[in-house]
Order: sequence, then structure tokens, then C-alpha cells
Amino acid sequence: MGIASHHPFFKEYSMKKRKRVYVCLTIPAILFMFVFIAVPLIHAVKISFFKWNGYSQNMKWVGLVNFANALKDKLFWRSVGNTMIYGFGSTILQNVFGLLAALFLNKQFKGRNMVRVIIYMPIMISAFIMGQILYFFVQYDGGVFNELLTLLGITPVYFMKSGLSSTIMIMLVNSWQYVGLCMIIYLAGLQNIPVMYREAAKLDGAGRIKEFFHITLPLLMPSITTAVVTNLIGGFKLFDPIVAMSGGGPNKKSMSLSFYISTLYFNDEKAGYASAIGLLTVILIMLIAVPVNVWLQKREVEY
Amino acid sequence: MAKRKKNAWCYVAAVGIVLLYLLPIYILLNLSFRSIQDTGSKLALPEVWTFDNYRKVFSESDLWTGFKNSILMVIGTVIIEIPISALGAYGLARSGNKVAKTIKTMNMSIMMIPGVALLVGTYSLMVSLHMTNTLFGIILLTAAGGIPGTMFMYVNFVVSIPTALDEAAAIDGAGVLYTFFRIIMPQMKAVTVTRVIMSATACWNSYLMPMYLLQDKSKFTIILMIKSAFSRINGVGDLPRACAACVIGLLPVIVLYLLMQKQIIEGQIDSSVK
Repeated sequence: MGIASHHPFFKEYSMKKRKRVYVCLTIPAILFMFVFIAVPLIHAVKISFFKWNGYSQNMKWVGLVNFANALKDKLFWRSVGNTMIYGFGSTILQNVFGLLAALFLNKQFKGRNMVRVIIYMPIMISAFIMGQILYFFVQYDGGVFNELLTLLGITPVYFMKSGLSSTIMIMLVNSWQYVGLCMIIYLAGLQNIPVMYREAAKLDGAGRIKEFFHITLPLLMPSITTAVVTNLIGGFKLFDPIVAMSGGGPNKKSMSLSFYISTLYFNDEKAGYASAIGLLTVILIMLIAVPVNVWLQKREVEY
Repeated sequence: MAKRKKNAWCYVAAVGIVLLYLLPIYILLNLSFRSIQDTGSKLALPEVWTFDNYRKVFSESDLWTGFKNSILMVIGTVIIEIPISALGAYGLARSGNKVAKTIKTMNMSIMMIPGVALLVGTYSLMVSLHMTNTLFGIILLTAAGGIPGTMFMYVNFVVSIPTALDEAAAIDGAGVLYTFFRIIMPQMKAVTVTRVIMSATACWNSYLMPMYLLQDKSKFTIILMIKSAFSRINGVGDLPRACAACVIGLLPVIVLYLLMQKQIIEGQIDSSVK
């Protein structure tokens, strides 16, 4: 090859051609996503216009009836509300505590690494199993929390009594489990902030709080975008801990949209309706996550 | 003096966090070592320590079947997901043209779709491919579900590899695939180890799709076996046995994590910044 490939024309040509070859490298990935994500999506759109039990040959075209029914369905709106609690609640808690943990664990002290490892550990554990274990904490009879309350002389609390309280408990468990994700994102962000900025702030006589709000936080914006958007999406998708902790109850009042879809399809045999709600869920998540992403990205500063 | 006081505050906070995060593990272990009759405080140590629960779980074939299926599923998924994602990410990061940008946006939107939202479509697809109740079907589905996220993380990393490497290889006459496998992949060794561990754990822990697609107990994954151990509690109740099954199911993941913690946490930090 030697000399020929050093000729400017040859090189330019091959680099341009290479660009095209690079795009081709994504073909296997796209093929997979097409077959297992796009095809089910197209199928789901089709089914959402039918009344169908999910297995029989008998499919009845009903047009937009499934969507119209969803808007009148109390359980649907309840699940939308719960999904918002799961999404926004977890996002706020995980980000606040994740950032605090990152700030704390960015300091130098002995055993710092061990604390990081322990906070990150629950992320490796199945959310379903974590839910099962945490259920032992919130149980009314013999639950760990109530045991502690009794020790302190406080009357036991029925943590999973209402739909709202169950939803909040599940949200707390989910937040607790995934604080480590935010912590890692913020640690990465903190390590990227050039030391000179902080030193300059100190020289200018900025106190710690001022330094945090005027230097650290603005420079952390890219991390905030990543952490907020990933947690928002994760929270909106919540499923496993609900199965383990409340089973969607009491009276189907702690269901997320994901949970509602699965009960509609597998228990109530309403495939068409489940499909319609699935699509509404996708639209809802995008309507929230995309603007949040854009809004946050606008606030990122270059440095 | 002031310095020491500051540090003391650090240690109090550290101990608090550690307790908060280890208490659930303690409760699980504690419950797994007691007898069924022991229904006392969950915080107190067992009245009588017993290994019977573990003995029971080990003697049942369920656990081993679950282990075998989960391991097969993890291996299959990782073998498909990792090379495809790495290759795709390399292509995306390097081509940087319109097609690549469109694919990147698509990738982001796919990550926003909850698996359940497409449940009906996915299930019908698996029925028409005759893949319900097969591990192979679950493997393909899990790999496909993991590709967008894994590819996304890889892209963050590939952009940090200098393009001069590719250009040098191109001038020497190396093809794109040769460049990828011989020059780029070795650069991504560390990040690949992290991605393999993360994908394998996600796969080991996955619950939703296996639950709906695998009906046959001989196909159950370890998580499904644990679930059925817990759901048998209602009424009769062998909570300690279910907890023992749980501990055994968690053990591989925890051991792997503790052995590789440095690599995992550093790898996650590296791939979470643009």
C-alpha cells in the first residue's frame, strides 16, 4: 500500500468512503432494535384500534374507542398520578441525596471508598428482590419500621394502608435503591470541574455556600441533565418493586402505568385496551422527558 | 483540633449511610438463618441458628434449574449485546453525519419506551416467532432491550479515543473492521469489562419479560424461582426458606460486585460524562 495511500486524493477518497462504512457498522444494532422494538411498536399501534382478548382469532375493529375509554377510565388516571409520583418523586430524592452523597464522598477521608461501594451496591441487586426485602420493613405486623417505632414508644403505623401511602413507600424504596446512580454521575461531574475555578472563587472571598451555588452547581449542569433525565425515565417505567411490595394494591390504587398495562393484558385479557394505554404511556413519557432534557441542556454552560 | 472535629463529623455521616444501606441485607441474612417457628423480632438475632433453610433450598432441583437458566441467559445476552453495541457505537461516534445523528436521536427515544408499554406487541411477536417459553427468545429480547443503553454508554467513551489512531490504521491499509477489532477494542478493554458486568447483572436481575414469557418451570430463571418461593408464603409460610433462596440468588452478583467494585465504579464514572 505504502506510497499510493499517502497520495492526497487517495486518502481523501478512502476517508469519505470510510464514513459511509462507519454508518454500516450500526446495521446489526439497528436490525435488533427494528425486529424487537419497532415491530412490536407497530404491532401495538395496530392492536390498539381493536377489541381483542389477546389470543383468539376474533379481533374487532373499534377505531379510537380504546383511547377514548382510557380518558374516561378512573384507574388509568390514578395510574397516571402514581406514575408521576414515582417519576418526579424518585428523581427529586435521588438527585438531592445523590448530589449530597457525591459532595460528601468527594472529600478526602479514610473509608470513603467503602461508603461509595456500599451506596452503589443496591443497584446491582434485583429491584424485585429489593422490594421483597423492603416489604419486611414496611409490614404492619412485625415489620422492622414498626418494631423500631415500638421501641421508641410510638404506636405502629400502617404504612401500606392507602394507595397514596403505598405509592409513597414504594417511591421511597426505589429512591433509596438508586441514589448511587446519581452519586456516580455527580462524582464524575465534580471530578471534571477544574480546580482553578474553585480557587478563584476562594480568592474572591466567596464562602462555601456561595461557591457551591455560583461555581459548582452551574458547572455541574451537564451531570444534572444526565441524572435528571435518566432517573425520570427510570421512575416512569417503575414495575418490579410494585409487584413485590404492594401488588398494585390496596384496591389497585398504587399501580404505575406499566403495572396497569400488564394487569390489563394478562389478567383482564384486554389486549387492545392495554396496547392503547401502552402507547399513551410512551407519549406521556416523551412529552415530559424531552422538554425537560431540552430545558436542562439550554442551561449547560461551556467551560 | 478543628480538623479532627471536621473528620469526626465525616465518620458519623459515613456510619449512618453504611447502616442505612446494610440494614436490609442484615435483615435478609438474619431471617435466612432462623427456623420457621421463630417469628420474633426481625431485628434481633435468631433464637436458634440453623442452616436447615439452606440445606432445604440446595436439595431442591428448582434452585439449580434457576441457576442454570439464568447463567445461560446471561451468557447468551452478553455475547449478543456487547459486540453489537460496541461496533454500533464506534460507527456512530466516527461517522458523525446526518444518518448517525438520526440514529442517536432514535436511540434516545427508544430508551424512553418502557418495555411493558409494548408488551402486547412484543408478546404477539414472540408468539409468531414461536419463541415464547424459550430461553433463546428471552435472550434475543433482553439483548435488544439492552443495546440502546449500552451503545449510548460506549459512544460516550469512543469519542475520547483519538481519531488519529483510525487514520493511521487507514493509511496502513487496515479495513474498518480490522481497525475496530485490533485497534479500538483493545482501547476499550476497561469500559467493556464494566459494560459486560452491568449487562450481565441487568440480565440476571431481569424480571418482567421472563415472568411473562416463560411459563414452564423448567425454564424459570433464578429470580422467578425466588419469586415462587416467596409467593408460596401466603398461608403456609416458609419465610426463612424463601430468604435463604434469596441470599443464594443474590450471592453471585454481590461477590462479583465486591471483587470488581473498583473497576465497576470507575468504569461507570468514565462512561457517565460526555
